[in-house]
Amino acid sequence: MKAEADLGVIGRVVDVKAHGLGLFSSGLLALLILMVGVPLVMVVLMSLRTGFPGEGGALTLANFVAVYSSPGTYKVLLNTVLFALGTVLVTLVFAVPLVWLLNRTDLPLKGTIYVLMTVGILVPVFLRTIAWILLLSPRIGLVNQWARQLFGMDHPLISLYNIPGMAFIQGVSFVPSAFFMLAAAYRTMDPSLEEAAYTSGVSKFQTFLRINIPITWPAIAGVMVYLFMSAIAVFEVPAIIGFPARILVLSALIFTSTNPPTGLPDYGLAGAYGAVMLIAGLALAYFYVRLVQHGKKYTVITGRGYRPRQISLGRWKWPALAFVLLYLSMEVFIPFLVLVWASLLPYLQLPTAEAFSQISFNNYETIFDFVDAQPFINTAILMLAVPTGTMFLSVLVSWIVVRTQVRFRGSLDTIAFLPHAIPSILLAVGLGYLGLAYRNFFPVYGTIAIIAIAHTITWIAYGTRTTNGVMIQVHRELEEAGKVAGASTLRVLGRIVLPLVASGIFNSWIWISMLSYREVTMALTLGTRKNLVISTIVWQFWGNGWVPQVAALGVLLVLFAVLVVGILKIGFSRFGGEFGSGN
Amino acid sequence: MITIRGLRKWFDSRRGRVEALRGIDLEVAEKEFCVLLGPSGCGKTTTLRCVAGLEKPDAGELEIAGVLASSPARRIHIPTEKRDIGMVFQSYAIWPHMNVFNNVAFPLIKGRKKIPKDQISHKVRNALKLVQLDGLEDRPATDLSGGQQQRVAMARAMVTEPKLLLMDEPLSNLDARLREQMRVELRKITKAVGVTTLYVTHDQAEALSLGDKVCVMHDGEILQMAPPHEVYARPANLFVAQFVGEMNFVKGKVAGSAQVECPLGTLPVQVPSSLSAGSSVTLAIRPEHIKLSAKDGSGASLVGAVSSKNYLGDAALLEVVVNGVTLMAKLVGDVELTVGDEAAVELPVHRWHVFP
Repeated sequence: MKAEADLGVIGRVVDVKAHGLGLFSSGLLALLILMVGVPLVMVVLMSLRTGFPGEGGALTLANFVAVYSSPGTYKVLLNTVLFALGTVLVTLVFAVPLVWLLNRTDLPLKGTIYVLMTVGILVPVFLRTIAWILLLSPRIGLVNQWARQLFGMDHPLISLYNIPGMAFIQGVSFVPSAFFMLAAAYRTMDPSLEEAAYTSGVSKFQTFLRINIPITWPAIAGVMVYLFMSAIAVFEVPAIIGFPARILVLSALIFTSTNPPTGLPDYGLAGAYGAVMLIAGLALAYFYVRLVQHGKKYTVITGRGYRPRQISLGRWKWPALAFVLLYLSMEVFIPFLVLVWASLLPYLQLPTAEAFSQISFNNYETIFDFVDAQPFINTAILMLAVPTGTMFLSVLVSWIVVRTQVRFRGSLDTIAFLPHAIPSILLAVGLGYLGLAYRNFFPVYGTIAIIAIAHTITWIAYGTRTTNGVMIQVHRELEEAGKVAGASTLRVLGRIVLPLVASGIFNSWIWISMLSYREVTMALTLGTRKNLVISTIVWQFWGNGWVPQVAALGVLLVLFAVLVVGILKIGFSRFGGEFGSGN
Repeated sequence: MITIRGLRKWFDSRRGRVEALRGIDLEVAEKEFCVLLGPSGCGKTTTLRCVAGLEKPDAGELEIAGVLASSPARRIHIPTEKRDIGMVFQSYAIWPHMNVFNNVAFPLIKGRKKIPKDQISHKVRNALKLVQLDGLEDRPATDLSGGQQQRVAMARAMVTEPKLLLMDEPLSNLDARLREQMRVELRKITKAVGVTTLYVTHDQAEALSLGDKVCVMHDGEILQMAPPHEVYARPANLFVAQFVGEMNFVKGKVAGSAQVECPLGTLPVQVPSSLSAGSSVTLAIRPEHIKLSAKDGSGASLVGAVSSKNYLGDAALLEVVVNGVTLMAKLVGDVELTVGDEAAVELPVHRWHVFP
């Protein structure tokens, strides 16, 4: 009788716990749907309204009619597609050989190359673009100045102000992320699949054609789709090079509609432009997920206990290193050196004796004459709040997705991945509209909070991907052993799971902090005079034509990022790195 | 069929040069089943991969079917795809984007021998029948069990009827029961086809049951090359004795040309002529050669106490402590002795091995 009563109590406790978990998961799902869904609904809503945000009125298709009856729109769409295709092409031309060289050959200096690729991610795209303009602009560019002086040329030697130029800079910027995605896929391919073809008497070329390409195709195609998706949505290169060259793409149009140089913002037009981008983004994301799943099916089958054979480059070692150096120069060295050079001079000039005599740190010393402390404080807030919020949500989502049997855990995972498919500029425009039209319910427009929210939503996709990976690595039995030992669910999470995943979570915390630090598209779209951050300040300086100040602030921006990441990585590898579950 | 002379291979690592093969000499006759046996890192897989042409040796010569396939000194290296071989990989390496039929047909369609189109289907079916997978032609490779993948890999390696079949631990990823079953089948198939086989394994039971010839390898060298029963009965040195089968070891000292002193007494065993009196030796005897019987007071020379008993069904493993030395004995059939019993221990003199 007593035993029965005890069992009853236990039963009820278990029931309450299961119920609590369900409630908690539903709450989290609702929150995510709200965070991701509301900005999207806003984009749709504003596309169906005219006038200033908050002015009601009947829903109308007027914006769509205005946008899609104009021939200019189709020119813009064509530009967008050409720019995106060119970008993908440039990225693959560099990324595919790099993946092969660094994973399958005995290329020297691999460690250093990896570090420099990571540094490449830390140089913000807009700074790299500016640096390339300082080098290759038809009027002020150093190369063209030099060509005029040396050959007396009356027309510029080379110009960036065209679609190939834009695609080149954007493409080079995408290489590190494409590299890391492809390398992951490549490493899961069992080299004996290739060797089995050789031992079957199949030639190297036929093996490459019939074995390597088909097996890695889902991964390559996945990366291509992902890059295309990103290239459609990027804003920095199209704005910095495209505007002056009058080459407009969708993202630039959306930005000018909501932040016009003169006159009132037209969110309705932005919504109508955004609708195409949104549909394209979602469709591409669907393809991407399908391709990734297809690729996974192929890697399930690989056996264990193989060691990849390194192909000896022999006398091709030096050309291969030269190729890597060429890439790293375009990605890191040249842009950074140009910025450093420009930052030390009163105005941009060729490295002559006269120029060297004018070198000083004046531009660094006078930065605070142009900007007060608030943008720095705002940036610091972003760098702490965004990664913390994102990783907090990501850990909770991943724990439910990977560890529990909650019925809708699949939907939770999908919703968390969705921001990947939403162009960040659209997300920002949607949030901006929400903040303007419904400022009574959502009083954050013009504050740093709205930028922090936009960033958090965007990177929750990245955050959950890494936390999913890290959680899967921690074997379920480790957790179950804790429960068997009599520890409560909360204690198991705190004392067993968290310490094991800490290094992985810390790694992505740093990354998200750095991404937030260098992000400019959303910060600009949602920017007012009160919530400026460092990246938008650089942007403003550039708009004002203050080249030396842009360069000085840019150099500091990069140095600070490299320093922070370097110190944190070294410090962490000394203290907690032995778990090594990161990345 | 295969002749290997002084084959050497080294890898340059950060900590300097690592010698993977320190001069391998090996001869495999036509239709022979030769097993390379050794612990991980002994160079057995490297040797196999050199024969396949997947690794380039740094010195020595390799001949396959009378043709010089690798000779660094003469700058000869026939690429893998031009060698008349078939190979089964440890991970099976079944191409995931093809079905069973296409996996097996691929070497015929794109391989070194051009096969008339109308014969391909017939040959593939025959190969699949050989490994008892007929009827699964249309199954996608990703839907196969481990054992089935193993069979597809076999069929794919045999379909071109190569002169030489190479196998790299093909059974190590299967579970125990399936492994034993496949072991029997493998021997049957290779003998039926009459293919020369070079087989790599770290499992001594697999090596002894499969090979016509077993090469025990350690640290980049072949320590003993002999038929299985000889490797087992007459291990060439201490390492082979330790690695192949179970063995009891007792430390001793040479006392004369046919006498060794050890804690078990002075044993009248034959000592290798290279050893002088006073040098240390290790005596070895297999558990199944130790005879135990209930002590009946009939003046047995050695008496031990049974300290553990491990019942195996058809036999039992008993540990006896004799003069402070623990010996493992394997007794076949029903054994009356139990833990704590005193037993008379008989150690047949001709069963002892003496190693320096």
